[in-house]
Parts: sequence; C-alpha cells; structure tokens
Amino acid sequence: MMTDGTDFDAIVVGSGITGGWAAKELTEAGLKVLLLERGRKIEHQVDYATEMKAPWEMPFRGQGDAALYARDYPVQRLNRHFTEFTQGHFVNDRHNPYATAHGTDFTWFRSYQLGGRSLTWGRQCYRWSDYDFGANKLDGHGTDWPIRYADLAPWYDRVEEFIGVSGAEEGLPQLPDGRFQPPMALNVVERAMRERIAARWPDRLVTIGRTANLTAEKEGRGRCQNRNICARGCSYGAYFSTQSATLPAALKTGRLTLITDAVVETIDYDPKRRRATGVRWVDAGTGQRKQASARLIFLNAGAFNSVHLLLNSANEAMPHGLANASGILGTHIMDHANTLSAMAIVPGFDDRTSFGNRPTGIVIPRFRNLDRIDGEGFTRGYSFQGGALQANWTRGKREAGIGEDFKQRLRSVGPWQIVLVAFAESMPRASNRLSLSRTRTDRHGVPQLEIAFTHGKEEQAALADAKREAAAMLEAAGGHVVVGFDRPGPGGTAIHEMGGARMGRDPATSVLDQWSRTHDIANLFVTDGAQMASSACQNPSLTYMALTARACAHALDQLRAGAI
Amino acid sequence: MTETGSGCNRRDLMRGAALFALVVGVPATIASLSDIDERERPTERQRMFAREVSQLVIPRTTTPGAGEIGVGDFLILALAHGLGGTDEPIERDALAGHAQSFRRLDGTLRFLPWLERELDRRAGGDWLRATPAIRAVHLAELDRETFPPGPPPKSPSPWQMIKGLIVTGYYTSETGAARELRYELVPGRFDPDLPLEPGARAWSSDWIAVEFG
Repeated sequence: MMTDGTDFDAIVVGSGITGGWAAKELTEAGLKVLLLERGRKIEHQVDYATEMKAPWEMPFRGQGDAALYARDYPVQRLNRHFTEFTQGHFVNDRHNPYATAHGTDFTWFRSYQLGGRSLTWGRQCYRWSDYDFGANKLDGHGTDWPIRYADLAPWYDRVEEFIGVSGAEEGLPQLPDGRFQPPMALNVVERAMRERIAARWPDRLVTIGRTANLTAEKEGRGRCQNRNICARGCSYGAYFSTQSATLPAALKTGRLTLITDAVVETIDYDPKRRRATGVRWVDAGTGQRKQASARLIFLNAGAFNSVHLLLNSANEAMPHGLANASGILGTHIMDHANTLSAMAIVPGFDDRTSFGNRPTGIVIPRFRNLDRIDGEGFTRGYSFQGGALQANWTRGKREAGIGEDFKQRLRSVGPWQIVLVAFAESMPRASNRLSLSRTRTDRHGVPQLEIAFTHGKEEQAALADAKREAAAMLEAAGGHVVVGFDRPGPGGTAIHEMGGARMGRDPATSVLDQWSRTHDIANLFVTDGAQMASSACQNPSLTYMALTARACAHALDQLRAGAI
Repeated sequence: MTETGSGCNRRDLMRGAALFALVVGVPATIASLSDIDERERPTERQRMFAREVSQLVIPRTTTPGAGEIGVGDFLILALAHGLGGTDEPIERDALAGHAQSFRRLDGTLRFLPWLERELDRRAGGDWLRATPAIRAVHLAELDRETFPPGPPPKSPSPWQMIKGLIVTGYYTSETGAARELRYELVPGRFDPDLPLEPGARAWSSDWIAVEFG
C-alpha cells in the first residue's frame, strides 16, 4: 500500500498483546507499519535469562532481594508472577511513578518491554457472551455496547486459531466454546470435585482453564512442557506472547519497522483535516525526541497508558484531550474485584498424586444473575478460578517442629487442598477515572497519570456471595474450609484494569465507535483494554485481541475505500 | 503514592552489600565497612548461632543438614536484606518484653541479637556451650511456644520468621531441593492421577505448591 507522503501507513503504539496483533494484521494486509515500544528489546529465546535457572543458581534463591524490592518494586512485588526469576519483566516503580487520588489504593502492575505483559500474563482465554455485551443495557449501569457476541464470534475464531488455546467444550451459553486445542487434564481431586458439585448444583460446572498454552505443536512453536514458569519467558514458544507468535508473523512480511525504548508522548493532530497525523516520542536511552507520520494510528499502549497518551495529547482544538469531545475520556475504569474466596483441605485422596506442572487451573463459570436475578445486592456475575494441589515444603514455615521428624514430614507430599479465587464483575462508574496529575511529572516532564478507583457495593456483595458459595461447594466436594475472604484486594489486583476510552453508540457519551475507532478522529483507533464499556467477569485479553483484529479489518476497508 | 519505596535507606543498602560480601566470601571492596553500623554486622558468634540453629531445625539424615550446607549464612544474608517479611516493622506490643530492646527505631527487629539473647536466656548462660542435646531442648521449647496448638497467632513471632528463612534456605538449596526432595525443571508432561507410593519424596519444583502450599 502507498504511504501517501507519510513515513508509514500505520503506527502502532505498544507491542503487548494487542499491539502485536495490530502489527501482525496490518503488515499481513500489506501496510508498512511502525511498531513503537517504550521498553527494552527482549528477543525470543535469546533474552530469557533466568528461564532455565534453579533457585540455588539465583543470588536470593528465587525469593529476590527484599531490600531492592522495597526501594524499586514496592508495587510490582505484589504481583503473583513477580519473583527473582521474573523481576526483569516488570517495571521499576521508582522510575515509573503514578499518582493516586485520595482514598485510592491501586496496584498498577506493568511490564514495559518488547512484548509488554504478553510475557507475564496469566494466559486464561474466555469468550464473552451476550450476557456480558447486553449487561449495561439490561441493568442501566454504564453505556450499552454497540456490538453483540455475533459481531465478535468470527474474530474470536481467528484469534484462537492463531494463538492456540487449549480447553474443553462445555456448551455453556454464558461461556461460549471456542476453537480449542485438546484440553489439559483435571487432576484426580478436581475430577471428583466436578462430579460432586454437578450432582448438587446442576447449573454449576468445574472445567479445566482455557489457556493460551499449546497442547499441540503449531507453526514454529512447541507444545507446553508443563513447567509452569511461563513469566520467565518460554523458549519453546509454548504460550502465546508477542515474541512467540505475532511479532514473528509481522516481521515475516518485511513491512514492519520496530523501535524499542521509544516512549510515545503525544499524538499529532491536524484540526483542518480532523486527522491524527503521527506520533512523537522520546528515546528512553538518549533523551532525544523523535517523530513519525502515518495515515493510520493504533493505540495499544495498555488501557491506562493509551488513555494517558490521549489526555496528554490535548491541543487547541481538543483542549481536554485528544478524541475527548465527549468529556468521557478517562472515566469508567474497571478492574475485577478479586479475592481468595476459599481454601479447603481435602481428605480421601492421600494415596493419589500427579506429576508435572500444569500451567492452568480450573474455572467455575458464572452461575449468578444469568436468566434470573438471583444475586443479592448485585446484578452481574463472578466466576472462580483455582485448582487442587498438594502442599509441599513451604508448609514447614508455618508448622511446629524441628529435627528429624520435621525434616521427614517435609520430605513427603503434603495434603491435598483446593483453592478458589473469585473474579467479580467491576461496575463501570464515572467516579473511577484517570486524569493527568496537576502536580507530579515523570522524569521526562510528562504529567503523571492519576488513578481514582474504589470498588463499590455491588462488587462487595458479589464477593460476599462468592465466599459463601465457594465454601458450600468445597464442603460438598468433601473439603474442610480453612480460610476464605470476601474483601477485594486493592484496585489493580486482578491485573484486568480496563476502560477509560469506552466504546459506545453515542459520540456524546463514549470515546470509541463500534469499530474501536475514536468518534472524533476517523484514523485513530484504540484497541487495548481502554475500549471496554463493561468488564464481565472473564479474563479480558482474548476479547481485546478479537476486537483488535476486527478493528484492523475495518481500518483496512476504510483505507482501501479512501475514507482515511 | 508509589513514587518512592519505603523502609530502605542508604544505610540499609550498604549493610546489605557488606554482608553479602562477607557471606559469599568476596572482598568487601564494593562497600566500605566503616559506613556500617557496628551493631548490625554479624559477629562470628552470630554466624555460629545461625549455623547451629539451622542444623537443629533440619539435621543430617540420609542427606546433609541445613547448617552444614551454609543455610546459616543464607539466614544472615536474608535477614540483612529483609527477606520473608523481616523488613516489616513490628508493633512494640507484639513483642515479648525482652524482645522490645532489639527493635530498631524504624520498628524492624534485629533478629540475630534477639535469637542469641533468647536462647542464652533459656540456657541460663551461653547456649552454644551447652551440649547438643540441651541446645535442641531449648530450641524445641522456643518452637513449641511459637506454634501452639490451635489457630495460628495473629502476628508471626521472630522465631517463626527465622525458621521460615531456614526452611526456605534449605529447600531452595541444591541439597534440599534436588537431593532431599526431587527437582525437575522440565517435566515435559502432566499426569493427572498417579498412585502415591509410601515414602515418595515431594517435588520442590511444584511451583504452585510452593506458592499456595
């Protein structure tokens, strides 16, 4: 395709899960694309420095230097996947500050590097259904989605077939089946749990997690080796990441220009033509400022950073932020309310065990508020993820005993236990919002992003119900509940932060149209989590990818028609 | 606000660097020892304490014990860097009377001097000079008091935190992880249901169990 006097046909900002997809789709369609990544280059296989290390080969045995973490990673260290092995895949909090509004406790987990959080994600892949796309309209929270499941279904197909998702078909209307690779197996306790829960509650199902880990080989990617240390990087290419899948596809076209260490600061806008014309960035290494022009701009910087970029790109014509004629930009951010609902010890299986580290758990799909409202104090859903496992040596940190008996006890496999973690739908609220800090800037002089976020009554009610139901199900499965919580972790805990540039039918109340394109600027697309108008209770990355692929197809149609 | 970390100043870092050098046996040229608070440097006696205590927690069986494979020095390093939550301030009221004197101004505890005092107190003198059997009795007594039957205490006691680091040090060592237990970085497959043979050793490389167990 001709660049028409611009440097590139398209610029994609961000190389994470959705940026990689945009780069792949647009280059494969013939466009000359510039992919900008704010972080360092991490080359597949070559740069996964700790992938094969044992704990005793690490300076702090895999536990990490707590003094360093207190200074440089006080937020990131709270991430489940953050360890001494993976710390290089997370941002330094001291160098990458953000502000929080009074009363907000928000842990913003970030990975600024080639591949972004596609290197560290949880890999769970769930389709949304019309229960989700119709939710805002039904109960009046937020604004109605301009699309429904049928609009996205073919794009889910396309994404799943490319990335490789293993999972079991279950025929659930609230969690549509996808194009799955063979499922991973439930272990012996999870199988029993599935049977016992189904016997008591016919509408509740325990199924294996649907995960972007390959159970069958795929173009240049090996199958999962059951290590379950994915966030270190996987040289087998067995889980989906930018590095393992979309970047090689984009590079293969010969039409991709990749620049790392490029921190995009603003988007250029031509008010006469009402078009975005390019982007400006600062080289993180040298401090030099650079720019490039293109006919098409895709923002894939991650939900909050894409919003940050739009807010920071305000100009005379758009004084409240680019593509923010509605004033909605930054509002209605969400993150699933997330907590450990129950943990139970399960007797009766002490003569059974498993081998290998399965990189997924189980899921109990949403059963509340589907065809009738049966939740008290909440209208949306929640679902559980977790699994059955056998304790090992770490129980020794909490148990009495010293000497030979103690050592012998820790030598053997511990009791079976089941963990259930709830993800409750986060309601879209105008008061949960992003803005530019008026007082704080980052080291490049850009105003920091300020986050205002609290969970509300609906989320609290959902997690209270989840705690009760988790306990009931685990007891029914033969377990003895040891602990459970109904208070959500701080905002950001689920690492599903989304919204801020929501999609909607009405330009007066939404930022993006049904094609993930800004209402105000015809050649500017935002296809990461920022576009979400509601949160459902499923892990959202698969939906972001499907929306990205769909938006790319629309952008290409528009380009070919000469409309942009 | 997340702009700055908390609880760690230059002095802490220097202390850590010098201790690391001491523990791994490299010259401490990267850190100037004169910058370090004398009271924070481990004495030879504290190193022996850490070694002996580690060995009593996890003694030699068919595999070496914790003390003899260097877990004592790991404990010192871990404490200097605040691993296992030992960099958290402890409420004064959560500490038994004599332990309060080992609380730093920032509320964190000087664990090694506390441990020395605690065991010497129980021994009625120099705990290290007691017979091995007597030493074990005193440590077992401290352990029993720390982990009473019933629900766990609200805040972990200093001994629970030290013990946690000893256990961690042992089972993340090659001896503990791969000889006492079994270690397989690349299982290559998942078997969901196998018979568990009596006496079968656990997998130290079961990362989910490490996290949730």
